[in-house]
Amino acid sequence: MSNTINLTLKVWRQSKDEEGRFETYQANDVDTDASFLEMLDVVNEELTIKGVEPIAFEHDCREGICGCCGTLVDGKTHGSHERTTLCQLHMRKFKDGETLAIEPFRAHPFKVLKDLIVDRSGLDAIITAGGYVSVKTGNAPEASTTPIKKADAEAAMDAAECIGCGACVAACPNGSAMLFTAAKVSQYALLPQGHPERTERVKNMVNMMDALGFGNCSNEYECAVACPKGIDVKNIARLNREFIKANLKKA
Amino acid sequence: MKNNSTWLSSIGQKLLLATSGLIMFLMFLIPHMGGNILFLFGPEMFNSYAMHLHQLVPVVIGIEVLMLISISVHMFMGFRVVLANKKASDKRHSQKSSKERSLAAKLMPVSGGMIFIFIIKHLLDFTFKAKEQVDMHGHMANDVYGMVLARFQDPVHVIFYVLFMVAVGLHLSHALQSSLQTYGLYIPREGSKIKLVSMLVAIAMASTFAIIPIIAFIR
Repeated sequence: MSNTINLTLKVWRQSKDEEGRFETYQANDVDTDASFLEMLDVVNEELTIKGVEPIAFEHDCREGICGCCGTLVDGKTHGSHERTTLCQLHMRKFKDGETLAIEPFRAHPFKVLKDLIVDRSGLDAIITAGGYVSVKTGNAPEASTTPIKKADAEAAMDAAECIGCGACVAACPNGSAMLFTAAKVSQYALLPQGHPERTERVKNMVNMMDALGFGNCSNEYECAVACPKGIDVKNIARLNREFIKANLKKA
Repeated sequence: MKNNSTWLSSIGQKLLLATSGLIMFLMFLIPHMGGNILFLFGPEMFNSYAMHLHQLVPVVIGIEVLMLISISVHMFMGFRVVLANKKASDKRHSQKSSKERSLAAKLMPVSGGMIFIFIIKHLLDFTFKAKEQVDMHGHMANDVYGMVLARFQDPVHVIFYVLFMVAVGLHLSHALQSSLQTYGLYIPREGSKIKLVSMLVAIAMASTFAIIPIIAFIR
């Protein structure tokens, strides 16, 4: 049996070239089995009927694996710190009568496009700068020619869990993309397939991250709390090591 | 695309911050604390320590130059990092995030600025000050013990010194563990022994420094 709750939503509304502001909406009879995005869908339906422009928010898979959704709900990225994306956060986590402040991910490189949608193409640019591996064309190579230790494979997979949602940047008091970049550098640094470009990769990705105006990591670990995929700050330590090694090689 | 040199990249800057900070900690703060402890053993011990220290002129000047370089690099990089971080972060309207960020980490620029003010006052109080002479078994030496004792007869000075040592403690408690993470040594988020040791060392050092003016006031 599902219950229903009533919520007051303070939602950030902003169009292009316009100062944003909070607008207050009532969300009544919210099914507690609904996800946060489904709750917003219902609110949007009502707004449309009333002739109000619906709230723009980003979403795609709604299975917690694509990295599209995410807003700050009461200051928490993805609305909770329980390793979940906003689409997988259910309304049973909220109490009847609560007031929720919903605003976009905040960071200087994340420009607000509309309402809750921000431009996260900076993260794509960091990937383009070095988050790839060169592969030979032709038949797939025999798997056992490149043995990989179980522990390394596991650690690489842990890093590769990053969905690039940008919660780490939004949670960081410095607007830094270190956890994201660290995850991407780590997933390749840990595997032999990533080794040909290893030195250039870390330099290029860190350079791009700086050039785009992301901040500096001050090891405050807010990012790891916010990450819906539980990416650990171990990866940031690894990124620092990779950066030091890459620059020592040059010298 | 703006291409920063290695040392001015985000990680490079922090490596310089960490290195200059650790140099000051290891080469200056720890020896200074060792010297201060000798104050507790009375005028004979403390004045003799000061006299012997001044006989090692090349070492003292070497360390002074190293400190001047380190503090310049530390402050320059500190300003760059803080300004860049201010620019990169956009103000949130709904403030209620996690409690992960420690107070010490949040206050790094403030405690750093306080330490700078303290260093200037401290140099004016003791280094650039005419010292009385005292007879040390036949030869004359500076009466640094008497100078410290006289300075801390004023409770305002005692309070000032103790207060600023709180800033030193806060700064160190974040700095020690954070610098190691910057060097690539993994400092876990939870249950880290290094974080704990970092905090204990910071508290121990700040209290050792803070106890000197209090004892001088009582004596």
